[in-house]
Amino acid sequence: MTTIYNRSQAIYWLAIAPIVAIVIFVIAPVFNIFVSSLQFESLNLLRTEAIRNVVWFTTWQSLVSTAFTLVIALPLAFVTANFKFKAQRLTTSLISLPFILPSIVVGVAFLQILPNNFHRTAFALILAHTYFNFGFTSRLITARWLQIDPHLDDAARTLGASPFKLFITLTMPLLSKAITNAALIVFTLCFTSYGVVRVLGGPSRSTLETEIYFRAMQLGDVSGAMLLSALQIVIIVALFIVTTRASRNKFKQSTKPTISRQKSLQTRKQKVIAATIISIATLFAIVPVLAIALKSINTNSRFTTTAWRTVFTSPEITQSITKTLIYAVIAMSLATLLGLLSACSVAYSNNNFHFISGLTTLPIVISAVSIGLGIIITFDTQPFDWRGAQFMLPLAHALVALPLAMRVILPVLQAIPDSLRQASSVLGASPRQTWLNIDFKIIRRAAISAAAISATVSIGEFGASSFLARRGAETLPIMISRLLSRPGDSLQSQAFALATLLAIFSLIVIFVIDSFANTKSARDSHA
Amino acid sequence: MNLTKTKKTTKLFTIILAASLLAGACSNNQSTDSDDTSGQTETPTDDSTTESKTSEKVTLTLLAYDSFTPSPNIFDDFTAQTGINVEISLGGDAGELVTKAGLTSGNPEADVLWGVDNTLLSRATSKNIFTPYATKNLADLDESARKLVPNNEATPVDTGDVCINYDVNWFKQRNLAPPLTLRALTSSNYANLLVVPSPVSSSPGLAFMLATIAEFGQDGWGDYWKSLKQNGTLIVSDWTTAYYTEFSGSSGKGDRPIVVSYGSSPPAEMIFANPRPTTAPTAVAALTCFRQVEFAGILRGTKHEREAQLLIDYLTDIKFQEDLPLTLFVYPANTKANLPEDFVKYSLRPESPLQLDPDLISNNLLFWLDEFTNIVLR
Repeated sequence: MTTIYNRSQAIYWLAIAPIVAIVIFVIAPVFNIFVSSLQFESLNLLRTEAIRNVVWFTTWQSLVSTAFTLVIALPLAFVTANFKFKAQRLTTSLISLPFILPSIVVGVAFLQILPNNFHRTAFALILAHTYFNFGFTSRLITARWLQIDPHLDDAARTLGASPFKLFITLTMPLLSKAITNAALIVFTLCFTSYGVVRVLGGPSRSTLETEIYFRAMQLGDVSGAMLLSALQIVIIVALFIVTTRASRNKFKQSTKPTISRQKSLQTRKQKVIAATIISIATLFAIVPVLAIALKSINTNSRFTTTAWRTVFTSPEITQSITKTLIYAVIAMSLATLLGLLSACSVAYSNNNFHFISGLTTLPIVISAVSIGLGIIITFDTQPFDWRGAQFMLPLAHALVALPLAMRVILPVLQAIPDSLRQASSVLGASPRQTWLNIDFKIIRRAAISAAAISATVSIGEFGASSFLARRGAETLPIMISRLLSRPGDSLQSQAFALATLLAIFSLIVIFVIDSFANTKSARDSHA
Repeated sequence: MNLTKTKKTTKLFTIILAASLLAGACSNNQSTDSDDTSGQTETPTDDSTTESKTSEKVTLTLLAYDSFTPSPNIFDDFTAQTGINVEISLGGDAGELVTKAGLTSGNPEADVLWGVDNTLLSRATSKNIFTPYATKNLADLDESARKLVPNNEATPVDTGDVCINYDVNWFKQRNLAPPLTLRALTSSNYANLLVVPSPVSSSPGLAFMLATIAEFGQDGWGDYWKSLKQNGTLIVSDWTTAYYTEFSGSSGKGDRPIVVSYGSSPPAEMIFANPRPTTAPTAVAALTCFRQVEFAGILRGTKHEREAQLLIDYLTDIKFQEDLPLTLFVYPANTKANLPEDFVKYSLRPESPLQLDPDLISNNLLFWLDEFTNIVLR
């Protein structure tokens, strides 16, 4: 894209901050992991068997979780894409809820709703993963489905196709790319799942991510952890390449069909099917969250507010809440700033800085756990001994949030027609004034959304935190996992209260984003 | 032209920065040894800073495992004598503590660490987490325990035994003989009766696994665990769950009458029971015991090394040591400490507990745990 800013040198300086941050705190630690894991003789037969077991479990649980997710998401997408019904917007929001919950909250929720003999089983993990992913998978598929022109269906029907034949020969081929793409994303997310597995898995139900934590932080087998981390990065990079390939070939239909394919429910059969599917999905989405909230006010089947009172009076926990919020504010500002800088440098340059787009994807490809491990083993020598530094945790959170923050801002920035800026400069505005009056005004909302998303990421971040959190400065997810690992009903209830608190924080943030998005679309329609 | 030049300089800058960082990162591993000596030479400067601070009140953080429960006001005397406050910070299981201390070696989260045992000691010393210190009470400490730390990297504070415990009444009611050896546990008489905390996540569990290695040798212990597994042994994540949730002889309501616990668990059952039973509800199988020695140490990199030394002296002194039997249910390392009568009466001190050479443990521990996981947990 060509913009009037191309002539300005300042653009190139914009890129430096995100590049430096990623090179120092992501690339260098990961490089260190690879070099060190090659130095140690961590590969021997026994080890390879243990590792093979973990990789195998990680893979098959991801496959089954993906299948389960699709089984729930497809019928749901069918209903939401083809019918209009009451409270459609509300149910869509509710169904999206699981995906924005911090992973540890999802783990805690299923700990609560599943009976004891299901704890630490593969089934518990798979169910939790399905819960986490079904809503957004359904949204992805619905979005594609809505693009299929209803006239195509009508044509097929006129030619005598049965609904089944129509689905198989017309809808499925058109949807298949979207489904594959969604499945690949779900698979990757289940493959790198951490918080859910830490809570619901056990010694024998360990994914690569939890095994890295377990080896490094509990067994003291740092070399084994690094080896697994290197292996994990290689696997995810491969998956990532496959996913981007798949989405690149995606059939693109930029224009929406002129008429909506969503029809109102007519026959009794349609009503029953739609109502069943929608209510099952909605219940599935909200019951686990309600269960944690309920458990937090219920100890030994008696109603009590003890847990909540402890949460707000225990110095240990109030300190943790304060720290979590402070870190979230710092991480939010940093991630938004870095996201803004990298989005600007990508959008305003002539392809020279497109590598930044790839660079900012790295924190997703290299999981948070590996980033945490890498940082703790890399910055351990004076004068770079930053293991105890207060800035480390919010910085790591910001890096984990950066890919999302940048991806929220970039499309908005790219969509600004350059003619607006040209008009501004023709009228005599300096590039700085133009940027402030045009670009900044337009991306302000996106920047707020990015900030809100970064704040949620920071509040719920568990992977990097479990390596970097220091005693006396634990964030809420760390606090929850510590409370859960200690026996005693009252401590468990406190963990549930904190999980409820985390869920509320995330809900508030999403509400903020949604209301901004809605006012924006309302304004657009007025214009 | 100018534009491409800027682009080039930026790129160059990035590359130089990355390269220098990577070089720094790679050299970290080699510099660990020299780091140690610099840590020791720094000590005098540390002292001067602490001297200048004597007017300020120092608070030491004592990091310990979750079940560290000495008498509530036990450190008041120490504060009165020295003006130093002690804050106790509990941080999970002993294994987790040592591992985290290893990763934060030189930049510790606390000043003194309590609870490294002989199964974890080599992990702690190889990661160089402690600053050596010879306490003034050294001569009074248990000799065999002292031998494990010839360079005073850490200081022995207590000893205990991890043994098979059983519910006396359960076996009496069924007219069944309790298991007295490790081998007996694989007998079908005891099918589905044993609960064990996992050696992977619990230190008594680890001690028990080492006991089986000491008993059956490196070639035989794997098969032994296979038979234990076939005999319906339940593995749980921690000692508290094993003892208080699954075991039938404790205050809990479990239904398994055999558990891995401590040689001093029976006196705990007696002394805390109200009203006190006439005979102990639980007993220990003496031939199954593995000796555990626990150490405390000064974490290298503490800003209060001198004060930490005073705390180590206090932890090994008579007053604190005599508090241990009835609060932590362990034997004091200080041989001059008197033992409470009840404790001696009900606890069992095996004469020749199972033991393993600490070097053998340190060289093989991770492989054994992998093997254990493969045999038992998968």
